[in-house]
Amino acid sequence: MPILSVLVWLPIAAAIVLAFFPNRAETAIKGWGLFWSAAVFVISLGLLRGWDDAHAGFQFVESIPWIPQWGINYSLGIDGISLWLVMLTTFLTPIIFLAGWNAIHKHPKEYVIAFLIMESAMIGAFVATDLILFYIFFELMLLPMYLVIGVWGGANRIYAAIKFFLFTITGSLLMLLGIIYLGFQSYHQTGIPTFNIADLYGTELLPRAQALLFFAFSLAFAIKVPLFPLHTWLPDAHVEAPTGGSIILAGVMLKMGTYGFLRFVLPFFPESSMRWSTLLVTLSVIGIIYGALVAWVQPDMKKLVAYSSVSHLGFCVLGIFAMTQTAIEGSILQMVNHGLSTGALFLLVGVVYERRHTRLLADYGGLGKTMPVFATFFVIAVLSSVGLPGLNGFVGEFLILAGSFKTWPIAATIAATGVILAAIYLLWLVQKVFFGPITNEENRHVPDMAWNEIAAMVPLVVLMVWIGVHPNTFLKKMEPSVKHLITVMNGETGGEVMVAERHVGAAALSGTATAEAAVATLEGAKK
Amino acid sequence: MTPLHPLLEPGWQYAVLPELILSFGGMLLILFDAFLPRAKAALAPLGLIVFIITAWSENLFIRGGLWFGGTYEISAITMIFDLTFLLAGMLALLFARDYLDREGIEGGEFYALLMWGTVGMMMMAKGLDLLIIVLGLEILSICIFVLVGYHRRMPVSNEASLKYFLMGAFATGFVLYGTALFYGATASTNISVMGRWFQTAQATPLLTIAFVLLMSGFGFKLALAPFHPWAPDVYQGAPTPVAGWLSVAPKAATLIVLVRLFNAMGPVLPKVNWMGMVAALAILSMIVGNAVAIVQRDLKRMLAYSGIAHVGYMMIAMLTIREDSVAAVAVYTITYALMNIGAFGVVSLLIKNENDPHTLDDIAGLGFRRKFYGFALALCMFSLSGLPPTAGFISKFYIFKTAIESGHTTVALIGILTSIVSVYYYLRVVYYLYMKEPAEGYEVSSAGGVFAAGALTIAVAGILAIGLFPTPLFQAAGNAARVLLQQ
Repeated sequence: MPILSVLVWLPIAAAIVLAFFPNRAETAIKGWGLFWSAAVFVISLGLLRGWDDAHAGFQFVESIPWIPQWGINYSLGIDGISLWLVMLTTFLTPIIFLAGWNAIHKHPKEYVIAFLIMESAMIGAFVATDLILFYIFFELMLLPMYLVIGVWGGANRIYAAIKFFLFTITGSLLMLLGIIYLGFQSYHQTGIPTFNIADLYGTELLPRAQALLFFAFSLAFAIKVPLFPLHTWLPDAHVEAPTGGSIILAGVMLKMGTYGFLRFVLPFFPESSMRWSTLLVTLSVIGIIYGALVAWVQPDMKKLVAYSSVSHLGFCVLGIFAMTQTAIEGSILQMVNHGLSTGALFLLVGVVYERRHTRLLADYGGLGKTMPVFATFFVIAVLSSVGLPGLNGFVGEFLILAGSFKTWPIAATIAATGVILAAIYLLWLVQKVFFGPITNEENRHVPDMAWNEIAAMVPLVVLMVWIGVHPNTFLKKMEPSVKHLITVMNGETGGEVMVAERHVGAAALSGTATAEAAVATLEGAKK
Repeated sequence: MTPLHPLLEPGWQYAVLPELILSFGGMLLILFDAFLPRAKAALAPLGLIVFIITAWSENLFIRGGLWFGGTYEISAITMIFDLTFLLAGMLALLFARDYLDREGIEGGEFYALLMWGTVGMMMMAKGLDLLIIVLGLEILSICIFVLVGYHRRMPVSNEASLKYFLMGAFATGFVLYGTALFYGATASTNISVMGRWFQTAQATPLLTIAFVLLMSGFGFKLALAPFHPWAPDVYQGAPTPVAGWLSVAPKAATLIVLVRLFNAMGPVLPKVNWMGMVAALAILSMIVGNAVAIVQRDLKRMLAYSGIAHVGYMMIAMLTIREDSVAAVAVYTITYALMNIGAFGVVSLLIKNENDPHTLDDIAGLGFRRKFYGFALALCMFSLSGLPPTAGFISKFYIFKTAIESGHTTVALIGILTSIVSVYYYLRVVYYLYMKEPAEGYEVSSAGGVFAAGALTIAVAGILAIGLFPTPLFQAAGNAARVLLQQ
């Protein structure tokens, strides 16, 4: 069974069939969405079963010529870098259907269709191994998200939707020009037209061209992440989006940016990546601190979580541009962690918003007494986001900081304060909302979480604990691919040993099992 | 059997079979309407049959090669363009049927004029002689004058017709004057003969003047900035299905003429800076079209400005005539026909006084009220803005790819930057479709019968099919372009 194709196309197929459902059959519509997205998740578990832990390259490869005269193929494949992001996507989609079960009454059919198309597009972008195919999926996910924010969003939704779209499209169109140019250069050198990612890795570029391409690609992904100072669309989009939209946006869509850096920017433009890594590391550290400080002063819960995303994704970018194995692995794990914990936080904010129709911190207080179940879940999600040892957030942030400490000691030190700031603003949030006396009479009789909301939260919490206690389940599957990525980069920079050497120290420091692997890389690079 | 005329080679009937079928079909429809005025319901189906037979004849009976003393070329590329014209005509006919019926102005002559206009465009696409091209252009223009003013009782329609007539006559004059000067320089109006002359030609002011005149005339037909100001007014006043057709088909015909001319001038181009001029026109069109479209609230005017920008994109590919650039233009015109006529088609289904502007407010909430219309219009907008997985993306990709491979990276960059701007106003349409509730007491209803639904289905299916499976079309266009350039 071509499992990747099934994963990519099944949601769209379900969406097409759903288009013919009668509008009034609301339960059937939601059930249909939930059933098929759950089916997709079950199928995606097959990836783990058939996974070859030792293989560094793409697995489950499929390839059919699509536009042969341009060398564009419908080629899919998945490696350790994309595996967990695909799993995250298939995992979160049924959860948003569950969470929105009682919340969405306006055009439910179109809502479910939009999310199913988005799921297809996101999986497609993660598993595409052809640059053009990737770009198509990358763009395709914008349209449903635009509609989700614009149709089901809050009061200021139009502004947020258009801002979201224009920001993203600006970056991606410039990247398109870069893609065309890169493909043209490759064709020029080899005489074979191709947009296959692996084939493009070896394309020689003049320094100036490489720098321009590096910036064209980086801009697109930096907007998506979003990196400071390109983050301004994010709080608007998050605040206005419906709960499901926020979960997908924060949980998966932002990861397109970090994934893009790992998959394209680093291996395509290794010299430029090294030359400009100072810039990107600086921006991500600014993002970490700035996001945390701004989150601190937000009166609106959702905005607070949105800015915490800016801060947390700064860690991911820092890990990527530290360019050590430990940091990159931490970064990938942190992408998953952020999807889980921030997804959970958005979900929970949605739960309370639906009951009280306000997200202002000032309107709450003492909710712990009226909604004990809710409070429990919320605190777990917060602790996971803060990075409490034993939960997932700790592992990711620790690996990133440990891995980048050798290459970027100052940046890592400053970034580490971001962890402290996160504890401050998130625990402050918890205190304001759940503890203290009930100041607002309306909070006295708020119903606790319903069955569907609990059902949506439980799997999230299970995974948070799992990653926190036994991260190796996840790390060991990504390790060979990350190692391979670093080898590719070193190969292209003519054996830039420096990175590998720093990386030995970092790995030793982190105390994870990757030290041996690092030594191997070092030796490979020296040869 | 002796031929009627020395230029009528045996078998010429087959060479111009599509033109003949369309011409006689048009006459038949007029007569049908005159003798059976009550059977108006049969007019559109009959017209559709004529179009389909013509398209079918393209495949079966056509004989390739040069005809009429080397002034008329029939090859794979002319076939592609013929089919584009027929597709545009067919879509316009289908949308027009419901529109004319609603407005109570249906008549056989409308469909006849569409057919004759198509004949004019076919002549332009096939003509190897500037005089044939001018002849085709005139046949086309006369049909457009009448079609634009077809809504006789509407002042805007009359105004639009008069505007187009006055300016169009002027433009034809420019084309003729340019042709005359080229004749003066090259001693021929035949493009292949001119091409041979150009191989040894030196740049002279006379040639440049001739080129500028010709380019101005054709620029008018293309609605290329700065020759564009007629377009918004005329599109706004013309019956909406006509506006859709007008925004696509004549441009396609003019583009293929320009491809032939630029190709023939190939040898002399390095010595003169004519392509710099064309590049300036393209850049200006992209900027003016996309910037002004932002402030338009009238959908037809907005589409007019967007059309100006789209011609700019197509001109990018034509800056260097290569196999790929010709194929890219061919692919783009087909895509453009589907998405633009589709968009105008949805606008034509809005029920309101045709003298009033069709503003964005009229489509507020349409996406949930009339799901298929809304979806079709949204898809056309996505395609026009060049978002995957639509045909608009893959065609624009082709254009920019060609431009970069020819070394026109700066122009391509401007194209990309202006398309970012364009996303804003295309998305605004989607915003009105799905996210805006109609104002209190102001809900414009929309209606269309089976014809309009059929046309929209063709447009939607075409946009998605080309977007997802472009290879067959690319191959056909590529092969056709190779044939064209080998001559």
